[in-house]
Amino acid sequence: MSGAESIEAKYTGVALPEVRITTERMMSADTTEMILNALSVVDSIRQITVTGESLPATVNSGPNKGIANNHTERKTIKFKDQEIVLRYLVGDIFIELFSEDEEMLKKSVDQIGKICEETLPFGFTIDVGRYSKYRPTLRDYRGV
Amino acid sequence: MAKYKRQFYPGTTSPAKNRRMYMDPKQKLKQLRDVPMDDVVRIMGHRNPGEDYKSIHPPIEEGNEPDCPIRQLVAPIEGAKKGDRLRYIQFADSVYFAPISPYQRAWMYLSRYRGLDTGTLSGRQIIEMRERDLEKLAKELIDNETFDPALTGIRGATVHGHACRLDENGLMFDAWQRYVWDPQAKEVVYVKDQVALPLDKKISVGKPGDRKDLMKRTTIFRADGVDMRDDKEVTKYGLRIHKLRTLGGFQPFKVKGV
Repeated sequence: MSGAESIEAKYTGVALPEVRITTERMMSADTTEMILNALSVVDSIRQITVTGESLPATVNSGPNKGIANNHTERKTIKFKDQEIVLRYLVGDIFIELFSEDEEMLKKSVDQIGKICEETLPFGFTIDVGRYSKYRPTLRDYRGV
Repeated sequence: MAKYKRQFYPGTTSPAKNRRMYMDPKQKLKQLRDVPMDDVVRIMGHRNPGEDYKSIHPPIEEGNEPDCPIRQLVAPIEGAKKGDRLRYIQFADSVYFAPISPYQRAWMYLSRYRGLDTGTLSGRQIIEMRERDLEKLAKELIDNETFDPALTGIRGATVHGHACRLDENGLMFDAWQRYVWDPQAKEVVYVKDQVALPLDKKISVGKPGDRKDLMKRTTIFRADGVDMRDDKEVTKYGLRIHKLRTLGGFQPFKVKGV
């Protein structure tokens, strides 16, 4: 199984590890905006994925299906110079990092941890691993 | 033979005692708030306050009922006498130390009240009842200690949120945001009815309980509160039911002395 081992080594050892931040409380849109902008200064970040609980634009079931939902946390946030419509009440942040070695990885994680401490008063947990799909699996060869 | 004394729930820990207390109809539940009846009617959204009750059959007193021994045996509740529609209210309870949880709601409802049908799901509990009786019961359940403004939601549909993390204000997640936090009054305010139709006026349901108090009031066993395994009698009771159910469906002849 040298093939599989080499792929493992590729992401755990050197390239593209991920940091998962799980917040103790679901974040408001303002806090989400604040933490994303604070994270934007970390050079080793390749991409940030946020997720949480879905906030539908319209009421999606029941007798009032189709009316505007008007959730105050579903709003446009500003990330650097981009405007993003937030469709979730965010509770998890996945950050893909570029890192050449363990030392660089540790430095980035410490920097991210410090930013979280400053922006998340309710607490959080931070883990390092690989949480999203990074290589084709059997499902990708299924055809249509 | 000794006179039968009704038992409710085993255990010595606070969630076990609370379960017993909620189920026992002789125990009066504390009233923590007083939400006006008209506002309860607005939150439920089945009729406008002051509007007549719609009926689905003529009043029972008119005497069109067939002769039936069960009808003679069971005294009808007020709404049934008048021929009211069946309406519902549904409560969702957060896992973060809500005062009560859906399963105990079912036990409590069936132990304390007449004339209702209830259904349990993982995070919510529906009550179906004749409209005028339901309104009285709904007010009682919103006003008493089984309700916490932040951790109990009144939700007719899209109830998702009982197992989600709380938001920054400590409220249980609600995709439809039926209630919001009022930072000035430090209270929870309903802005939509239970099926997300915006209300004409905001309805305050009061201040949420504090965490320490809720941990004493809850019926929920949790590893970071009271662990169910710390209550020997509750554990024994759970294991006994588990064993009886498993053996009963598999090797009933082994059910001896369990």
